Amino acid sequence: MLKQFADHEAALAACARGDAAALRALYDAESGNMLGLALRLVRRRDVAQDVVQDAFVMIWRNANRFDPARGQARAWMFAILRYRALNALRKSSREVELDEGAAEALPDDAPDALEAVGRMQESAALRRCLEGLDEPRRKPVMLAFLDGLTHGEIAERLKSPLGTIKSRIRLALRDLQECLQS
Amino acid sequence: MIPTDLKDNPPERRALIGEYVLGLLDESDEAAIRQLIDTDAAAERDYLFWHQHFLALADTVPAQQPYEGLWARIEQETGLAARKAELSLSLFDQIWGVLGRWRGAAAGAALGAVAMALLALFTPVFDRAPPTGGYVAVLQQPGESAAPGWVVRIAADGRLSLSPLVETAVPADRSVQFWTLVDPAQGPRSLGLIQPGQSVELPADRIGPVIPGQLFELTLEPPGGSPGSRPTGPVLFIGRAVQVASN
Repeated sequence: MLKQFADHEAALAACARGDAAALRALYDAESGNMLGLALRLVRRRDVAQDVVQDAFVMIWRNANRFDPARGQARAWMFAILRYRALNALRKSSREVELDEGAAEALPDDAPDALEAVGRMQESAALRRCLEGLDEPRRKPVMLAFLDGLTHGEIAERLKSPLGTIKSRIRLALRDLQECLQS
Repeated sequence: MIPTDLKDNPPERRALIGEYVLGLLDESDEAAIRQLIDTDAAAERDYLFWHQHFLALADTVPAQQPYEGLWARIEQETGLAARKAELSLSLFDQIWGVLGRWRGAAAGAALGAVAMALLALFTPVFDRAPPTGGYVAVLQQPGESAAPGWVVRIAADGRLSLSPLVETAVPADRSVQFWTLVDPAQGPRSLGLIQPGQSVELPADRIGPVIPGQLFELTLEPPGGSPGSRPTGPVLFIGRAVQVASN
């Protein structure tokens, strides 16, 4: 999957040494996944492609700052992607009220955020821990992660007061970290 | 608002960083958490902890095919496209540009040891004429910013020495091979494998006559070197020969 590189860590280390083939290997392995997630978040294909481009440029430039003692390489890459995608999303929603024409309809097979838990790998710790949350705590987390919704948008979607949503998310994150660490 | 004792309160810190990962903090809290992640190792671990676990959710989103030109745009912006073109373009002007900058830097106080060594090496090129004392090639990392790594010196009698200026990190299972290119039509010629960090001397008959602008490069190759007569791996360092005055 990563050509001559054993894993994401090895490819990222090679990027840090200036090996262009390593960046290409990471691109081949992850650009499709990243574009899928970026499109899901920003809802416009042109913006999503820009986000993926920016993410790979940042991955290349910052590869030497990745420290495997602090986390996994794939998580690090997706952290960069998410950071860029959320920036683009907030920027576009500040600039224009989301133009219905420009916003691409989500692909037909886009999973509903609230149903996505069922599509997660059985073995994933996050799946087990999300299933352990009651629905009022789980739903806001899913909408924030997969659709990039703000507190206000989540409150509107779930027809709950803003303060309630804020405290539910905070409690959900406390429960989740406890569960994920156990 | 972000509590000030965040560093001493891991569960609170981790929960706030979780909110940051979800993109739920307001702008000022977001900036404060970003700074904490950038400066505190424990905070960065929390940040990657969340991202690691959320990958399982990210992976439920169907992948999308990027359009074909996306990689080319990335190559362009990272400078990798320029690097690819480098073998066919003259590096000569670029090297002279770099040397000019180093000379400028000499006026200032902050002059690195490497630049100092090179300045000493090159002063005769600039200050004396005509050049008759052999050649020098500064091998730089390809890419956007010039990063000198090795120096090739060819004495007036044709002997060549290759000396490292920096540590070259090489994976244990790879070799570094030294090449020269006189005529692109004939292709590069191997000058053998080298050990990172160690100087090499080669006899004149191994090098042959050197011409101004002749290309030298180090590439990363499989153990024992390229299986063929051409480099197969990425260029680590590259540069062209310039004439040096006799001392």
